[in-house]
Amino acid sequence: MADMVISTVTRISGNACIRLIRDEAGNPREAWLQAFGYRGFDIMLRGSHADNLVPVVSRICGGDSVFHQVAAARAVEECLGMEVPAEASRVRELAMWGQLLERHAVSLTVHSLPDLLLPSSDPSLRNIISIHRVDEEVVRRFMALKSLGTLVLREAGGKAVHAVNVVPGGVVRDIGEAKRRELLERMSEARSLLVETARLIKLLLRRNEDVVDSLGEESAPCLALAPGDGIGLLGGKAVIAAGEGGERVSLVPGELRASIEESNSGHSHIRVAQIKGVGDVLVGPLARVNVNGGYGSELADAELEELKAQWGFPFRRVMLGHAARILEMIHAWEMIKGLLEAPPGEGLRVTATPAEGEGTGVVEAPEGLLVYGLRVDGDGLVKGLSITAPLQFNIGSLERCLLEGARKAGAGTEGEARVSVLLETAARSYAPCIPCALH
Amino acid sequence: MRVAVLSLSSCTGCQYVLLSLEEYFYTLIGENAVSYAPFLLDQKELPEVDLLLLEGTVRNGDDFRRLREARQRAEKLVALGTCACFGGVPGLADMVSEERMLRMRYGEGATFEQAPPGVKRLLPVDAYVSVDAFLPGCPPGEELLKDFLKLALSGNLPSRMGATVCSECKVTASPPSRDGFRRLLSAVPEDGKCLLEQGFICMGPLTRDGCGALCPSSFGVPCGGCRGPCDEVLLPPFQDPCLETLRRLARATGLSPKAVGEQAKDPAHSFFKYCLAEPLLRRRRPGGTARFLYRLGE
Repeated sequence: MADMVISTVTRISGNACIRLIRDEAGNPREAWLQAFGYRGFDIMLRGSHADNLVPVVSRICGGDSVFHQVAAARAVEECLGMEVPAEASRVRELAMWGQLLERHAVSLTVHSLPDLLLPSSDPSLRNIISIHRVDEEVVRRFMALKSLGTLVLREAGGKAVHAVNVVPGGVVRDIGEAKRRELLERMSEARSLLVETARLIKLLLRRNEDVVDSLGEESAPCLALAPGDGIGLLGGKAVIAAGEGGERVSLVPGELRASIEESNSGHSHIRVAQIKGVGDVLVGPLARVNVNGGYGSELADAELEELKAQWGFPFRRVMLGHAARILEMIHAWEMIKGLLEAPPGEGLRVTATPAEGEGTGVVEAPEGLLVYGLRVDGDGLVKGLSITAPLQFNIGSLERCLLEGARKAGAGTEGEARVSVLLETAARSYAPCIPCALH
Repeated sequence: MRVAVLSLSSCTGCQYVLLSLEEYFYTLIGENAVSYAPFLLDQKELPEVDLLLLEGTVRNGDDFRRLREARQRAEKLVALGTCACFGGVPGLADMVSEERMLRMRYGEGATFEQAPPGVKRLLPVDAYVSVDAFLPGCPPGEELLKDFLKLALSGNLPSRMGATVCSECKVTASPPSRDGFRRLLSAVPEDGKCLLEQGFICMGPLTRDGCGALCPSSFGVPCGGCRGPCDEVLLPPFQDPCLETLRRLARATGLSPKAVGEQAKDPAHSFFKYCLAEPLLRRRRPGGTARFLYRLGE
């Protein structure tokens, strides 16, 4: 039977298609997320001075730009033994939490909310523009969360997309006292909005329980940074956790990079990343909460308890990624408030003389671990660069989920349109970032 | 108006700016029929539209097919962002052949049966189809995009003309510091003073305006050239971004242009970061493609 192709998958970041391969009886045999057009960032940067590394890698992905910048900057800093001042780390973290808030808000509102809100409507109506026509307020309220993230990112990063504040060694500008107060005020207004959104997402997931179940569970071990006091975007060891009570392996950034094994899938330019001796791992919001057991902030953890009671813990159903995203937004909100309230530290940046070196930069990007490996020569020129993006880890899990969804939808009995909707919904549960994976 | 947004190979950053227009975003979707925008809508086929905003570059046959369709179905086609206008940062991949790049990434002999054929050279979209207006910027700022859209949606497409970032820059011109050629990694620039005069590579004099000179003025970071080359660079007799900047740096440092050039060891990344793929500048690329390939260790 001919392959079923969904081209292109809409309401995701970047261009990709889904190909469902069926046997003669029409039963799904394989399901792929295909994306072509590798852009060669890791290759074109060879020979570049470390100064140009940060602005160039930022252009890998607009939605995750600060994460690429910080990961690259940290790799340079490790190469040259630079100690980033505490205040600079704080500004960077603020920018990262701001972008995480923005990115999750876009994934939830613009990309996935229509699936949850209008699961059986005509595809032409399943988008925020149609929702805006009938209920302007609901779209505005959700988009306000995106705006809040953008605002924090703009103040801490200098620009909302492709920030200019991050440089190897620190940041160039602090957030002024007046801006800090203004941001805090804006943050305090968002609490009820976040709680309300979390309530709605939880309600919608319950209402769509059949879809949640039909997309199946992911049993692969989870991989995330574990800073020790909840979920963090920087620092701490990377932990691979096989499940509750299961084996936990801790790796420092260098060990993590060394244990990543990439291979070609043959059907897509997205290279598959696995961990040596472990195989597939899951990264992203679900993996972060599964590994850390909680968020480490009051409001997010209170919401988490409710979710645990309903869906069990660790979370295995992939569609609960949406719930993990809204909880992470609450956590981001609390983290931003904390970072803004803390007394300002000393120093913004350090400089270094170029020297030969090797370094790793690991950060938690919105959809999972982002790993940079870098080698520079004595002139500060890049000799080697490796980038592993979150979707490269998750692609195995995502394709299993697509197949599971196709099988549950009973491709033979139900219309292709129904299968197509379910498969796209499944893909959006991972908020796949194609530009990052096709760096 | 019937409006569409199409992304080719891109970072999707321009889409994020569209979503960041705040109140104007609602005006945009309220007053116009946004009939195709894969990041917002489920519409799979591009319908006939009055205005199409196109971002990204043509990376392979698939992108080319979509670009051709876009040209056929759009009354007016706008190149949005520096990638579409000048090739942007992804244009740096032009230093390596497509085959070699894929070989380095996927290994010798790796095949992808369903992969569309790759392009031999990266080019801005106006190298493939006619473009009615350009809005460069990486990404274009919210205000810039808003003003552009207001004009475009009233049927008036703005032209490509523009002054330079220096004309908007608020730093003060000062006597050359004579501190030598410097990089941000190893030196902290003095606040409020011209970065070029301090010996840093700043592309402000050769980059089109419209950004408010945010990087040099507000952050003390040299201009990287993200709005693309200004008209003086793109019109005969075609200034050379590398040579022009080296001359200015030579004046600031008291060294010869050649001596500065020898210290700036990554000409493609430093002087052509956003426009290496621009065909009008191909002959200006220092040393041609071969030199860049050499730098990559070939």
